[in-house]
This record gives sequence, C-alpha cells and structure tokens, in this order.
Amino acid sequence: MKLNTDMRVNRVTDEVWEIPVTEKAGMLVPARIYATPGILQTMDRGVFDQVTNVACLPGIARYALCMPDGHWGYGFPIGGVAAFDTQTGIISPGGVGYDVNCGMRLIRTDLTLEDVQPKLERLMTELFRRVPAGVGAAGFIRLNRGSFEGVMTRGARWCIEEGYGWHRDLAHIEEGGCIAGADPSNVSDHAVGRGINQLGTLGSGNHYLEVQVVSSNRVFDPETATAFGITGQDQIVVMVHCGSRGFGHQVASDYLKIFEKAMRRYGISVKDPQLACAPFRSPEGQDYFSAMNCAANTAFANRQVITHQIREAFATVFGRSAEELGMELVYDVAHNIAKVERYSEGDLLVHRKGSTRAFGPGSPDLPLDFQKTGQPVICGGSMETGSYLLVGTDRAVSETFGSTMHGSGRTMSRAQAKKAIRGEQLQQEMSRRGILVKAVSMSGLAEEAGFAYKNISDVVETVDRAGITKKVAELRPIGNIKG
Amino acid sequence: MHSYQFLDDIAVADLAFKAEGDSVEELFRAATEALLETLADPSTVGVTWERRIEHVCGALDELLFEWLSDLVYWKDAAGVVFHEADLSVVQKGTTWTLAAVVRGAPVDQTTQILHNDVKGVTKHLYEVKQQGMRWYAQVVVDV
Repeated sequence: MKLNTDMRVNRVTDEVWEIPVTEKAGMLVPARIYATPGILQTMDRGVFDQVTNVACLPGIARYALCMPDGHWGYGFPIGGVAAFDTQTGIISPGGVGYDVNCGMRLIRTDLTLEDVQPKLERLMTELFRRVPAGVGAAGFIRLNRGSFEGVMTRGARWCIEEGYGWHRDLAHIEEGGCIAGADPSNVSDHAVGRGINQLGTLGSGNHYLEVQVVSSNRVFDPETATAFGITGQDQIVVMVHCGSRGFGHQVASDYLKIFEKAMRRYGISVKDPQLACAPFRSPEGQDYFSAMNCAANTAFANRQVITHQIREAFATVFGRSAEELGMELVYDVAHNIAKVERYSEGDLLVHRKGSTRAFGPGSPDLPLDFQKTGQPVICGGSMETGSYLLVGTDRAVSETFGSTMHGSGRTMSRAQAKKAIRGEQLQQEMSRRGILVKAVSMSGLAEEAGFAYKNISDVVETVDRAGITKKVAELRPIGNIKG
Repeated sequence: MHSYQFLDDIAVADLAFKAEGDSVEELFRAATEALLETLADPSTVGVTWERRIEHVCGALDELLFEWLSDLVYWKDAAGVVFHEADLSVVQKGTTWTLAAVVRGAPVDQTTQILHNDVKGVTKHLYEVKQQGMRWYAQVVVDV
C-alpha cells in the first residue's frame, strides 16, 4: 500500500493503523490512525509527521491518535486526539485548535420538506439577514467589558438568562454550555477587543448554517434517532458550525507567545513551533486553561445566540412560535477543546482538535435522556454532500479517550478549489440540485466546493466499523449560509 | 518594486502567500497588499476609517508578524476592511521601527467584494529572508 510517509505503518485492524515508537526519535507512545486502507492512502504527509510529533510530547498517555477525517493542521493534525497526565503532562494551544470550541449544533423541527420547500427562498433570506456572516461581521448584541465577562464565565447560561434560548437547551449542550474555571483576568484586552462585537456571528471559512432534511431511508438506527428527536419522514433540521471567532484565536495566539518562552524555562523541546506547550500544572498552563475555557464558553454562547436567531427566523417565516414548530436542540458538541476527564490511567487532559467527544451509554456526563443511548455526535460534511448524526459508544471511551471524527476533512487547498470553479457557477449548480446557497463571499464559496473534501460517508463508515461511534441518520442539505 | 502570489500547495485548509521586494520596506508593502487582498478587494473599499500604527522590534520577522497581526486585530475590533496602508520601516542600531497609516472602511456587504475572514497570522512555515538583493516572506494565515 502506497502511503504519503516513509514511516512503518502497521495494521492493527482494517480500521486501525499503528506507527511504532521506533519510527521517530523521541516518541513516547505509538501513534494510531483510524482509517480504512483507502482513506489511509489519501492522507497527506502532514498527518503522519504531526501525529508522531504529538507522540513525543511530555506526559502523553497510551497513544497519539488521528481520526479518519485527519489532515495537516497547525502543530497537531486536524482529527487529532491526545491525552496527557494532569500531573506530568502538558497543555498545548496547537492541540486545541486556534478556533477554541469550534463545534457543531443541531436543531430539530416538526416541519417537513413539503412544508419548507415552498418557503425555502424566504427562509434562507431571513436566516441570512438574522445571522451575520463573513469578514468583520458584528452581532446584534451590544456588550460592554462586564457583560462580555459574563459570557466568558457563564457561556450559554448567560444567553438563557438574557432571553436568548430556553432553559432546557442547556441539558443538550456539552458541559451544559458552561465550563467551570473560566477566568477573564487571564484574557488579554486584545482578545476582548476582537470578540466583544462578534457574539451571534458565523464567521467564514468552513463555517456554515445549514437547513437539512432527514429522509426515512437515511435513518440507520430508528430507536436512537427517536430518542434524539429525529423522526425521519423528510423532517427538517438545522445545523450550525462555528466557534469562538477572533476571540478564541487571539487567546491561542497570546498563549503561544507565552508558551514559547515558558518552554525554555521548563526545558521542553518540541518538533514544531506550533506545538508550543507548558506543563499543565504550571502557572502558564493553568492561565491558558482558564483563558481557553473563557473562549470555549464564548463559543457555546455564540451558537446559542445563533440558535435564538434561527428560531426567530423560522417563527417569522412560518407564522408559528419556535416551540410550536418543535425547534428543540438535539445537541451541541465541541470539536476543538481540551478537558480533564477520567480514564483507566486516572485524570487526563484530553486534547481534541477536529475531533468530537463520543461518550457511550451510562456516562455521568450525559443528561438523563441520553443515558440509554449514548451521546449525540454531530459531524458536518461539505455543503454539497450532507452530514451525519452519530452516537457515542463505550468502545470510544475505552479506545480513543471517548473521541471520534468531526467532519469530512479537506483534500484540496483553498487556492486550488478557487481555480477549479467560480463561486457563482457553484451556486447555480447547487441550486439546480435543490440546494439554495446564500454566501457573503463568492470566492469563499468556491473554496468550500464539495470536491475539496473527502467523501464524508467513507469517513463515517470507518468510525462505524471501528465501533467508536455508530451511525444514526444522514442529513441532506437543502439550504446553506456561508460567510 | 514588490509583488506577492498566493500559494496552492501549502496549508490545505487555510491560505498562504509569498511576498517579495527590493527592500525591507517593499517586502512589507507586498505582504500588506497580500493580506488586504485576502480580506477583501481593496479597490472596492472606501476610505472612511484611518489608524496610525507603530511597532518597534529587535527582529524583522517579528516586526512583520506583529504588523500583519495588527491588521487582523483592527479588522475585528473596528469591523473594517482596508483600502491601503502607507508604511515605512527603518533600522536604528539593533531595532526595526515600523510606522504605518492604514485606511479603510466599515464592512459593507452591499458595496465591497469580501473574501476571507482571516482569524490569525501563523508561524507555520513562516519566514522572512534576504536572498541576494531581494527580500522574501512566506506567510500562512488561518481562515
């Protein structure tokens, strides 16, 4: 099998591949990649180089992991999972991702394709008006430093207190939408300056808001789907993909600089400057952790405000309240974050970068209504091909630190995609296929063409066969908003 | 003389450019134009907002990094995109000083051709170097 690496890659199963510690000087644990042979062959060289670099970081437990949607990232690969001993290990912004708590949210409705199709143009226009997207877009909520600190410390709870959502939404957000230990005094004025006007905005790049349909023949696990509020029968759902915007990125940038100096003080050397890190228990490590939690809470709040706007848009277009339309939150889950979780090794700081938490049934971290099923896992595909709702498993907890894939993963650069198609042409082609796209930037739209991504179905089949998540339903796009 | 070009094969999920100039100042102009173009078509952006920026750094690569990061900061903090930047870069002893005036306008989706919302400048494959009589920089920006 021809791979984009000279390193030895051993087959563990048809979906799990291992690079032994002998393949790179300094590896403390083996690296494991979840992929079918076909996906493994398409993975770029960066995946192999970076996952083995991660395996060299102090305090790493068991394996450095990469999910099947993995590709090159800054320091850690996208799709990377690594857990570190909380006493002897490190914390790294490169392992969290610079868009802290970039994540997915799925909202169900009682509407069907038949209800929505005649009003789709009006609905997408209303959503596009209410959810700001693209370069420099500002949200409708005016915050001062004090109220922004409330967002940083209380996350989605702040939104509910301010009337942007329903109290029961909180149970369906990872960590209840509010991670403890967020301390705004560890956040720079620069970060606050970038974030204070951006609450309720989508951003650009691969972020989107999508109206989707769930057909009955694409529900793979009807019992779990029902528990998640998914009925199939051409049901309409809404997916949101965004994070902490410029705020989270500034937090990461600020601490990368601090960590570059701290590493010299602590005698840590890394194989890539983007792996800059500090001991988790050091003052610098703890300061970053609390600042990162401020950004994570801000991202939960961002998606909560966007949800409020989505509900308002649907209510306006369909002339019924969001409650009457059954617009309950299915789940909200982060895919760029570091969290302390307990595994067989003890308390570990699990970094998930382009990887989703996937806890199985009975986890004390899940609300009552997901105790029997396991945690909903939301995976976004390209805007042309669709997305998936999956469910977490016990096997994920035992094998991958409770983690799985997050999306389809790019295979073509933005610059190449723009050369292959123009945004206007893509918009027209998608319209002919029944997908209505509203975009701020036509060049940005071209960069997100479906052919620039792996086939998400292949990626989902890998994690399903590996047993670290199971398929629940496929979600097909009919309307998309991009920055 | 200065120029820039976007790079196809670096940073699959993000954007990268190479900038070059006959002098340090020309290099900074090229990199600035590349970043401005990454955000929006500068010819569609008016001039109703202006900011003076000054930086002093011991290292030239750090100076360029800080300057480009400043532009990203003001894009978010002031909600603007940019038309142009006048700048000078002067070496005094062991330090470099950049003095710039950047001009632009608040984001307006109806009149401006907007491109990518850059989240940050990164140090991945980042370099500033002199080869012969020309200066070069390679920059990857996170979108």
